[in-house]
Amino acid sequence: MKKHTFVVKNFLLNLLSFLSLGMLVLLWIVASSGESSILPSPYEVWSKFISLSENPIAGMSMLGHSLQSLRRVFVGLLAATAVGIPLGTMIGWSERFRAIVQPVFEIIRPIPPLAWVPLISIWCGVFEFSKYILVFIGTFSAIVVNTYAGVNLANKDNIAVGRMFGARGIRLITDVVFPSALPSIMAGLKTALTTGWGVVLAAEMISANYGLGMLVTRGSDSNDIQLVLVAMLLIGIIGALMSTAFTILERRLSPWRTDLN
Amino acid sequence: MAENNPYKVEVRHLYKNFGSLEVLKDCNFNVRRGEFICVVGPTGCGKTTFLNLLTCLLEPTSGEILIDGKPANPKKHNLAFVFQEPTAYPWLTVRKNLGYCLSLKHVPKKEIASRVESIAKLMGLSADLDRYPSELSTSTEQKVVIGRAFAMNPDLLLMDEPYGQMDIKTRFYLEDEVVRIWKELNSTVLFITHNIEEAVYLADRILILSQKPASVKEDVTVSLPRPRDINSPEFVRLRSYVTDQIKWW
Amino acid sequence: MADRFKLSVRELSKAFVTKKDDTLVIDDISMDVRENEFLVILGPGQCGKTVLLNMIAGLLKPTLGEIYLDGEKMGGLDKRVLMVFQKLALLPWLTVSKNVQIGLKYAKAPKEQREKTAQHYIDLVGLQGFENAYPHQLSGGMKQRVGIARAYASAPEILLMDEPFGQLDAQTRYAMEDEILKIWNQDKRTILFVTNNIEEAVYLADRIVLLSKRPAKVKNVFDLTGLARPRDNLSEDFLKIRQEIADQMDLDLGQ
Repeated sequence: MKKHTFVVKNFLLNLLSFLSLGMLVLLWIVASSGESSILPSPYEVWSKFISLSENPIAGMSMLGHSLQSLRRVFVGLLAATAVGIPLGTMIGWSERFRAIVQPVFEIIRPIPPLAWVPLISIWCGVFEFSKYILVFIGTFSAIVVNTYAGVNLANKDNIAVGRMFGARGIRLITDVVFPSALPSIMAGLKTALTTGWGVVLAAEMISANYGLGMLVTRGSDSNDIQLVLVAMLLIGIIGALMSTAFTILERRLSPWRTDLN
Repeated sequence: MAENNPYKVEVRHLYKNFGSLEVLKDCNFNVRRGEFICVVGPTGCGKTTFLNLLTCLLEPTSGEILIDGKPANPKKHNLAFVFQEPTAYPWLTVRKNLGYCLSLKHVPKKEIASRVESIAKLMGLSADLDRYPSELSTSTEQKVVIGRAFAMNPDLLLMDEPYGQMDIKTRFYLEDEVVRIWKELNSTVLFITHNIEEAVYLADRILILSQKPASVKEDVTVSLPRPRDINSPEFVRLRSYVTDQIKWW
Repeated sequence: MADRFKLSVRELSKAFVTKKDDTLVIDDISMDVRENEFLVILGPGQCGKTVLLNMIAGLLKPTLGEIYLDGEKMGGLDKRVLMVFQKLALLPWLTVSKNVQIGLKYAKAPKEQREKTAQHYIDLVGLQGFENAYPHQLSGGMKQRVGIARAYASAPEILLMDEPFGQLDAQTRYAMEDEILKIWNQDKRTILFVTNNIEEAVYLADRIVLLSKRPAKVKNVFDLTGLARPRDNLSEDFLKIRQEIADQMDLDLGQ
């Protein structure tokens, strides 16, 4: 009898989430109906989506555009991770290193990625490489800062244990400090993922031949609001899926953590 | 009428389940006005759940808890609690901490000030009134928390292992303090502990909880004169008896 | 016949220097530890017991004084001296077995041998079946036993224990006290055990070193080898010694 209440409660909570999404769609329908509506209806957006698979823009399906955007994010993110994690670890671990690097870092950090566009355009042109660089710039800070925080706050007792049982130098960092800092690093990666996704789309909106961001600009330029909405929805859905996938990955990588749900 | 009721707290047929997990089963007991009760029991038997029900943090699955003959209600009744970790508010001075619960109940400022002064004097905190908890030692901080609880003149003071981590001498000292104030203010106290010696030292009566699902297995009266001698044969005998009743390992 | 001591501490002092002021924590402590004895260091809370132990473990450098192991001066971390920490510090990302093997891993012992040794000690502390569990799945008492197995598995000559049962409730504590005595009897080593609980000290110790409140000095040394084991914490003799020590222990209200 009592177990029943748990299952029922869970079901009700899920139902609540679905209802909330349903309300959103309902709101959309209401807002888009009527004479002077400025919003295309869900049906119109859906038909646009279908028609796009028959008449692809820039010779690429919606899937193709999405994959292009995703590719740019992941390349930039990978580079930022490869450089950012070691850098953050060093900053967190060595006081001397921190003294040298941190002031420079703190000044560069507040500059938003888009402010870099003019310089990047001059240095790297407007093609693929510039997009990677922009994603790199946008995601680098979050990764470094979170790695540094994780390393800094790594449990001192765990480190003492490592030292006591014979771990030294690099091994101490890889075997003890790094796993201790992992939750923080993962949080940084998650933030970076979201930021990176935003940066790619902004960069594509400014100049690109393909990608979801480019579709938004294209739609805006040709007053094709349905296209804009299709792109926006895809952006939102893919973003949400990435977050979820990341959380699942995190759970798999850290079976010992009790705070992940 | 409340005056004719000899019992401050009455617990009748108390049950508590979490889903399919039975934690408390048919608990019955009474607490007289001004009594000092200790609750002991095996590890994990549900003592904290028991306390949470009394403080109305949780709803019982069935059964009732009466204070002064009426159902327990944190808005109407003055319930004060002291936990294991000192929970003095770090952003308030000792003075403000002692008066905090009173200010929540909208007691007039002048009265708060005078009660704070008298509690501070009673507990030996007069010199520390304008300090912050972070400047105090753990035992002094715990005194502030206890003082804050007593300042409310609570209907019921609930304490959950408040001296858990402290060394023995500090423990003895704080136990003596709480007994002193309890007698002075004639409060009613319910004190949960794992430490049988502490229970026998402090209590008028000891309630022994059974294993999960917990009920009140036994009610042991401790009629030794205070202050009690932990080495006296009667003390040792009582301690041995209660320990045997709980032995689970 | 010289009864050579396993461990000797000579005129050890430790001061911490901060921006605000200097605090003397350990003040000129000297003591000797016999081989395979169960020595308890007892003192009021915050008196510096952990600092003392950390220095013997090699995690902290003394300000003054020396520590001798088997007659030779000790210089920092030493594989012969291992500690069971108060807050335990089981590495949460390692299973029980991997945690227990940790010292052996850095000693570069071959994998098979490591696992066998770890298993032996996991069984010894009564945790067979839990080799692949993670620390967060264990109760407080079980975690303590992993900590003990971990230290034992690396075969230290001296085992340091820093208030290992401090976080446990009274009943589990009693059970763990019996447990550590059982382990010690089966696998005799020198144990240095720190606690603020007089009853625990009298229950466990061959000898007790009583420290004063901060700055810590040696107040007295009690020899309990005459008190027969297993000890009864309610017996007259036990209570008498307990009261004697209690009378001498400082009350530290941190003023």
